[in-house]
Amino acid sequence: MAFGKFLLKRTLQGILVVWGVVTVLFGLRAVTPGDPVNLIVDPAVDQATRERIRQELGLDQPIYVQYADYLQDLLVGDLGYSYQASRPVSTMVIERVPATLELAIAATIVALVIAIPLGVISGTRRNEPADYGATSFSLLGISTPNFWLGIMLILLLAVQLDVFPTGRRPVAFHDALWTFLTTFYVGDLLTWLHHIILPAVTLGTYFTALITRLTRSGMLDEYGKPYVTATEAKGIPETLVRYKHVLRNTMIPIITVLGLQLGTLIGGAVVTETVFSWPGLGLRLISAIHNLDWPLIQGIIIFIGVSYVIINIGVDAIYAKLNPRVLDE
Amino acid sequence: MKGADNLYSGRRSVLKATGVIGATAGLGAIAGCLDDPEGDDDDDLDEIVITQGEIIENPDPNDHITGPYFNVLDPVYEPLFNVTPEFEFEPRVVEEWEDTDEGAELTLRDDVVFHNGDEMTAEDVAYTFNRMIDPDLGIESDQAAGLGAIDNAEALDDTTVLLEHEVAPSLAEFEYANYGRVVNQEWIEDQEQPVAGDDEEAFNGTGPYEVVEYEPDVQVVLEPFEDYWGDEATLERVVFNQDGESSGRANALETGESDIVDNIIPEDVPGVDDADGVEIREETSLRNVFLVMKSGVEPFDSTEFRQAMNYAVDNEGIISDALGGYGEAMTQPIPDGVFGHNPDLDTYEQDLEQAEELVEESGYAGEEITLYSPEGRYLNDADVAQMAADQIDQLDNVDCSFDTAPFPDISDANSAGYDDEEMPFFLIGWGVITGDSDYGLAPFFVEEAPQETLRNEEISEAILESQTIEDEDEREQQLQEINEELREEAPWVFLHSQDSVYGVREDLDWEPRTDESIYLWELDS
Repeated sequence: MAFGKFLLKRTLQGILVVWGVVTVLFGLRAVTPGDPVNLIVDPAVDQATRERIRQELGLDQPIYVQYADYLQDLLVGDLGYSYQASRPVSTMVIERVPATLELAIAATIVALVIAIPLGVISGTRRNEPADYGATSFSLLGISTPNFWLGIMLILLLAVQLDVFPTGRRPVAFHDALWTFLTTFYVGDLLTWLHHIILPAVTLGTYFTALITRLTRSGMLDEYGKPYVTATEAKGIPETLVRYKHVLRNTMIPIITVLGLQLGTLIGGAVVTETVFSWPGLGLRLISAIHNLDWPLIQGIIIFIGVSYVIINIGVDAIYAKLNPRVLDE
Repeated sequence: MKGADNLYSGRRSVLKATGVIGATAGLGAIAGCLDDPEGDDDDDLDEIVITQGEIIENPDPNDHITGPYFNVLDPVYEPLFNVTPEFEFEPRVVEEWEDTDEGAELTLRDDVVFHNGDEMTAEDVAYTFNRMIDPDLGIESDQAAGLGAIDNAEALDDTTVLLEHEVAPSLAEFEYANYGRVVNQEWIEDQEQPVAGDDEEAFNGTGPYEVVEYEPDVQVVLEPFEDYWGDEATLERVVFNQDGESSGRANALETGESDIVDNIIPEDVPGVDDADGVEIREETSLRNVFLVMKSGVEPFDSTEFRQAMNYAVDNEGIISDALGGYGEAMTQPIPDGVFGHNPDLDTYEQDLEQAEELVEESGYAGEEITLYSPEGRYLNDADVAQMAADQIDQLDNVDCSFDTAPFPDISDANSAGYDDEEMPFFLIGWGVITGDSDYGLAPFFVEEAPQETLRNEEISEAILESQTIEDEDEREQQLQEINEELREEAPWVFLHSQDSVYGVREDLDWEPRTDESIYLWELDS
């Protein structure tokens, strides 16, 4: 199969997934009890006003008409309007993306910085204490719920030891970076770093454990292959073999997982953002659910769904380029 | 190779040591040397950080009716009157006021300016009231219900506004004195309706503070407005943060990141109590929580059955167990501290025998009923309702089950009329925010009212009559009699008034108010 055809197929599958997400969300909204008008006006408002609002919003139309209107709006990028916040949903979604991306990327960096060395140590010292330590850590990391970990880190490192703040994001990364580049003032960047460490560790712990395991098993797998024995027989130093050949080959599946996990981190930041009051998409989603702000709930979930699909297609495309055999499968 | 290994491990050791030193130094620098705008360990009160469960839904001061939003917007869009904790009204933007045959005449200060530099006029004040009561001016204001007595506003001259009404002066005063936050007509008409926006440009009030930073759902930062007509603002910077989690707010207080936090739930109270430098402060609020029994639906159409439900429920026990003691038992539909509250009434003491007898008398012995409750809308609401349902279920001649329902469902039921059968028994709350009984009685007990739960012609007429009694004492007596009658009619199972529980920096001279307002001009250290 040609690469273009492969990409087209993946894109069509992605569109189907997004359509499914949109339809399920619309269906959920339709079957959720309660009059949407109650979410817009005070309960004391009279019936005539309620009817007028219902008409203005098209809520008096048959459900299929509402659905068709909704799809039509989505196709032109209109995610709707939050009557509770009196703002367009697309604005409310877009303005929260940087915070979530910052957190997801920081969590990925935390994971890579810890997991790769740990996985290498574990893989090269199989059945030694270092390996037991690393595998125990990864088992613990995979088994620890991040809401619990976040609360424990806050209690220990923020409340008890006062090393880190309890949460929040006083400055955006891009603003801090701009300040640094224009004035050489590093304080904002350090403030940002100070506030993101705990959330990033919390969100990245599961990912760290996962990558540690992948690196370890990848290393062990590669060590068993003949080319390693051959290179070692040539007298090439062990360190060179380990990092130049074994680790490099191990990284291919890790990079694939990395891409996919970035999508998961964007969607999975809900709990971490809530625990640390990190003003990203997840925190806004929780707030929208609490207020039953349906247009906003739909907008955020659709955005996350579309991001996930796009990242998946991107990862598939990269993988197909790196390993053209998948085009034939 | 052994020698090489030693060499590598030597290098590794150096790298490790350097890494540890670097990381420690870095953390020390980050933790100790940062000029963190949220850290506030100073003892003086130049800057204050207040963390609330929610800050503002949108920047429009006329569009909301939620207490925490007023806290954020009042320093910016100041109230027309100062409202004392005892609900007395004192001059502020309005210097004098009197009632005439046509309505209330407000005389305004002539030196008030908006943050954009425009002078405030009587036209602006009249427009503000009309904007809240007339949806044709752009918004469906949540404050309209609280201004039900005001028919129209008109500027008589540069500094006088007439608020037309046909009710008792004291009732009208309770309404207009609670809701006037003046907006600039010309500026507002250029804005989206209601005012939206996601930065400091979305605010233009006359208050002592102006907004310098605004991040929706996250933070509002205020600094003094230099051209304010009154005393200079005492705080150089005020930060309102939003944190929806009680534990998050408590942590922010304990670490010194915040000076006042609201809505500490009972489970988080001990932690704050034990922490150094901070403490819990509480005040009974004007928000009642009760179980509605729709009088047009069997078996709640029987007064005896409704009274039986009140005798079955131990509201003191519920306050103690489900609310950690943070509540006051209700004796009538109106909480203590509100004009018209009857201080001579007692709670229904739990008496299961009497409850069973009353059920027999009602003719509804053997009934099966279901109590519905929202979850998370009010303080431990589902726990409260579950306990009440269990207590009713203890009666030999009534089976009571419990279920939760989404709040919009409950709200629908609350607006569906006194004889709507779909959900006739549910928990809900109501804040009597005007400080006058009328706001807690008229919506529920006047015929065809939006939340009518009891159809009783006599009580309905008495409430309507009370709205026109000009003599304040006579009106108060009438309202007290209505409350007494309603206690006997038992349209609700009277539960409790919620306490507002705050975590506060110990050295802060500030006391919570019954109306849940946090006024910056009442803060001192």
